[in-house]
Amino acid sequence: MTKIGIPRALLYYQYYPMWKTFFEELGAEVVVSPPTTQVMLSSGASRVVADTCLPVKVFLGHVLCLVGECDFMFIPAIRSVKRKIYNCSKLLGLPDMTKAVIPESPPILDIDIDVNKGRRDLYQAIYQLGRRFTWSPFKVRQASLAAWQAHLNYQQLMSRYGLTPPQAIERISGTPEAEPKTPSGNPTPNLGTIALIGHPYLLYDEHINYRLVHWLEQAHYKVLTPEMLTAEELESATARLVGRARWTYEDDVVGAGEHYLESGVDGVIGIMTFGCGPDSLMMDMVRRRAAKLRATAFMSLTLEEHTAKTGVVTRLEAFLDMISRRKRRQAEVCV
Amino acid sequence: MRVGIPHMGNVYVAIKAMSNRFGGELIVPPVNNQRALSLGVRYSPEGLCIPFKLTLGNLIEAAEMGADVLLTIGGFGICRLGYYTKIQEQILHDLGYNVRMIQLNVSEKKLPGFLQVFKQLSNGASWPTIISAFRFGLTKLNAMDRIERVVQKVRAVEQIKGTANGLFARAIKAIDNADDYDSLKKIQIDYIEQLTQVPKDNQAQPLLVGITGEFYVVLEPFSNLDVESELGKLGVEVRRRTFISEWTKFSLFLNPLGIDETARIHKAAFPYLKRDVGGDGWESVGEKVLHAKEYDGLIHLAPFTCMPEIVAQNIMPSTKESIPVLTILCDEQLAKPGMLTRLEAFVDLLERKRRASNNKR
Repeated sequence: MTKIGIPRALLYYQYYPMWKTFFEELGAEVVVSPPTTQVMLSSGASRVVADTCLPVKVFLGHVLCLVGECDFMFIPAIRSVKRKIYNCSKLLGLPDMTKAVIPESPPILDIDIDVNKGRRDLYQAIYQLGRRFTWSPFKVRQASLAAWQAHLNYQQLMSRYGLTPPQAIERISGTPEAEPKTPSGNPTPNLGTIALIGHPYLLYDEHINYRLVHWLEQAHYKVLTPEMLTAEELESATARLVGRARWTYEDDVVGAGEHYLESGVDGVIGIMTFGCGPDSLMMDMVRRRAAKLRATAFMSLTLEEHTAKTGVVTRLEAFLDMISRRKRRQAEVCV
Repeated sequence: MRVGIPHMGNVYVAIKAMSNRFGGELIVPPVNNQRALSLGVRYSPEGLCIPFKLTLGNLIEAAEMGADVLLTIGGFGICRLGYYTKIQEQILHDLGYNVRMIQLNVSEKKLPGFLQVFKQLSNGASWPTIISAFRFGLTKLNAMDRIERVVQKVRAVEQIKGTANGLFARAIKAIDNADDYDSLKKIQIDYIEQLTQVPKDNQAQPLLVGITGEFYVVLEPFSNLDVESELGKLGVEVRRRTFISEWTKFSLFLNPLGIDETARIHKAAFPYLKRDVGGDGWESVGEKVLHAKEYDGLIHLAPFTCMPEIVAQNIMPSTKESIPVLTILCDEQLAKPGMLTRLEAFVDLLERKRRASNNKR
């Protein structure tokens, strides 16, 4: 059986169930790389120029990890999934860049997703991808419909039950994806709610964010993420803040940021990486908005390969201290 | 309506000419300088690229000079540039400037869009006036670029370094002052003649270095610390595809007719980069492949954190067509001594390479 390698990085968190269903329907086996480790990050980073962004370095580390484990590497070039909203250059050039810096990689299955070119082009691209496994267009059609259904189920699962992508993937595939959570029924009461905004590949890659979600939960805060909002909520919030979105995954930052800043959570933490093009602008938008509203505490954390855990933890502790002081003061005023 | 503009190379000359013709009130901020850069760096988000920071500096200076409308560039599917206007507007508002932004859309509508914007900027000038003003502006652009092409050749071989640059600066001034087609033509012929008569080292066989990379840093000497003149001082002839007049010619007039100058470059890049990654990344890779035989070396200019150029930079070393490439990342931290050392080392390498290949023959 043909083995398809899918790196557990970047768009994996958004689309994995869809991709998996598609390939399995076509009779292939899907191999996913293990969670990120320092070795993977260093090996990925050693292949590219220094100012390539952290998520791409992580991605390449995952690709390197899959070399020899699979017959094909699946790396789509997702240009646009909504009309006139384009993706970041690095995601567009990902298949070509991988080929250039990892020549030993197995053949790369790339597919151009660009809805601006119209339905016909999109279907043709999907068919061309499927043709590697079957000659029958009907089979490809069936597989892509099943894949789309899987994607819808996945999204619904996350927004309805408030699950994070790793938890949802775990639920769908029945294999333990995420690490076991701290036992529920924690005796200490919740100290407050913190919303994290940022792209899924930063929020759920526990290696590069130093288990941020876990750390906050341990500190007795409830954590909210962009995936827990519905698409409509995100879109309307984006429209309020910037009008018309121009980047594909902008909702994760701007939409979620705007929504959570006004939803009465105790604090919002924006996670971005150094050198991220879209985020350098988007996070600034959210920061300016937060400064204007003056209602919710906001902090932006910039991650890169050299970020040390202690630095991140110190900033988080200071942020949480500030929130609890703020709450105390409010309580005193009420009395 | 007092219109302020950001700078990019000599484009202000053309916009000034247009504005004078259609009777708009134009405020040209000082050409790029340390103050504009410092202002831009101070008020920009830190992760942004040098084109954003410099243009923001220009816009702040224009606003200080009393501009109430700012002309900026925008569009879709073209890296972060599409978003500049929105963020710059917000930064300017937060700084307390009451300005309105008007966007020149470079990705769609093209020529009609440009003319519409100029119509908006003029104080109710008629369409024929706008069109003739636009044409006059483009003629100025063409004249400047024609002279610059000669300057690039002369710089490498002139006996007294700096002569060509001095002439070029005078030519720009003369073109800026010219206000009809005849004098413009005369200036162009006159200066090209003067340039050809500059005393030259006739024995010299200058190295040929191509310049490619991101549009703004290639065209704005302040952002790349005038890399072309520095190469000229080292006796290197510089060649580049990116000229603002070429861009206007193709993007505004010929592309809508289906003539695409970049098709050849994209075809060359195809084995290594199959798709447009925004900005000028695709072209950078293509130019390396296309000119590997023709040039001795290639200088790749990119703003620090430029997304498309990082993709290009990662792909370039793996092409079969090999040619030495020096990538220079431009940002506010780029300093002249550091850049000069790298340029000298690069030119040394090219000379050694040429000598080695001559010996082999």
